[in-house]
Amino acid sequence: MDELEKLYQTTYGAVVRFLYRKVWDADRAEDLAQEVFMRLFQHRPEKPRAWVFAVAANLARDEARAAIRRRKHLTLLTNDPGQAPSRIAAADEVVEHDEQLAAVQDALGTLTRRDQEVLLLWDAGLSYPEIAQQTGLAIGAVGTTLARARRRLVEAYDRQHSDDSRGHAAHS
Amino acid sequence: MIVNTRMIHGAMRHIPEDELHAYLDQALSRSQCVEIESHLATCLGCRHERDSIAALRDRTTALLATLAPPRRIVPSYELLSERAATRSARIAGRWRAAAWAASMLLAVGLGWGARSMDSGAPAPEVAADRRDITAVPATTPSSDSTSTPIVSDAAPAIELAARETAARETSKRENPARGNTRAPESPAAPAVAAPAARFQIPDQFPATDQLREPILAEPAGTVLSSGGRLPSESFSGSAGALFRTVSWDRARIERGESVPRIEGLPIMEVQLAGSRGGDSRPLMVVAQQLESGQVIRTIEGPATDVNQLLSSQRSDTSSPWPTMNDGDGIAGGDGTMAVRRGDRILAITAPLPSDSLRAMIRRLNASER
Repeated sequence: MDELEKLYQTTYGAVVRFLYRKVWDADRAEDLAQEVFMRLFQHRPEKPRAWVFAVAANLARDEARAAIRRRKHLTLLTNDPGQAPSRIAAADEVVEHDEQLAAVQDALGTLTRRDQEVLLLWDAGLSYPEIAQQTGLAIGAVGTTLARARRRLVEAYDRQHSDDSRGHAAHS
Repeated sequence: MIVNTRMIHGAMRHIPEDELHAYLDQALSRSQCVEIESHLATCLGCRHERDSIAALRDRTTALLATLAPPRRIVPSYELLSERAATRSARIAGRWRAAAWAASMLLAVGLGWGARSMDSGAPAPEVAADRRDITAVPATTPSSDSTSTPIVSDAAPAIELAARETAARETSKRENPARGNTRAPESPAAPAVAAPAARFQIPDQFPATDQLREPILAEPAGTVLSSGGRLPSESFSGSAGALFRTVSWDRARIERGESVPRIEGLPIMEVQLAGSRGGDSRPLMVVAQQLESGQVIRTIEGPATDVNQLLSSQRSDTSSPWPTMNDGDGIAGGDGTMAVRRGDRILAITAPLPSDSLRAMIRRLNASER
């Protein structure tokens, strides 16, 4: 089995997840993941695994910018500038059916961009040196950042979850 | 990463949080792990800390796992590879097309620039004449099946022929033993002893075949211009005969295919000398214009009339006119030429590649059969 094929088989799912947590649209995440691997097959870099996630992060960033532009355009069309959605429409459709998902998503949204990036890269399976290379952090700072990100994510989720529980109790 | 679990004055320093994260993430070296594990074996507080961090790590993983997209079928590696290869080929094709287009543009630009540099500006009155001539539509298709494809830019080839002719003449003057040993003045030349029954191309005529493609072929818009006046060297009646200007159609009616002309050049004027003694084919002069604006005349008729015309024109004008000797013909150093066929002479007053001459002679010979 070709090295790239092996990487594709073992990493494709992680890349889709990584992208999904950035664009919050399963279809779009799939499309972007395929784009990432097609570029990989074209360029065949020396360190394909780190390269894949670097390209995925860049594509997700571009996608987020495009989403912001679309949102601004929609805001202009509806002439309702004060009500920009807190997250993109596709994400709203997802969390509609899963409160926990929405809570986790919101909790993740409370992290800084750097903390989010490090946490998601770690969750995608990248090593500390790979995370350091992609984010520009020192290897020693990766553990610190990861510790802070994990703690803040759980704290934000617990806060969100307890708020929801109180809301449900008050409602009932 | 340096693990800060060292004994300092008997007091043990606990393991920092980030190092425990790295330890659980298996991001430490083997020696660092050994150091941490030895500390954990003796430090209850750090063991509790490790356990809480492990729980935090597991919760984080579990929370993030809920943010996974729905599972789908992974597209096959072959499919994606094929798509990537197709895209690469398409991109390469675009680059090739762009490179081809750029090279074509460059070639056209260079060609245009070279042409602009090569072509000198013609005299204003001549240019005006040419515009008048070319505005008239074509009237006569060619019947010469031996003609070769048209090349529109005739002037450079003719200039080359003239240069080559001059060079040959110079070479002959300097070294008569080289090159053509059959001098036209030689009375022993077979052509003089027994003139050919048909027009022959003189050996002295410039052989431009190796230099250029044939330049003249099917007549391209052969026209008679009523408004196109000949330049100042126009003549009339100087050969002792009364010349009359006739239309192209009239010339064709009178002479058919034997009208002496150079295929592919616009015709400015056709002049016929008055018939002597009931000659059905009197002297005819056809003036045409080269691409450079120069007028070239083709003269065909009885030898006596043509010789008389040539000698009178040589004395009357500064323009080149060929000289006819007693042999079968001569090519002048200025590119002019005259050839004899029996009692008739064919002359041209400007340099002309042998291809065009051969085409004209073939046509004239064929029309005589």
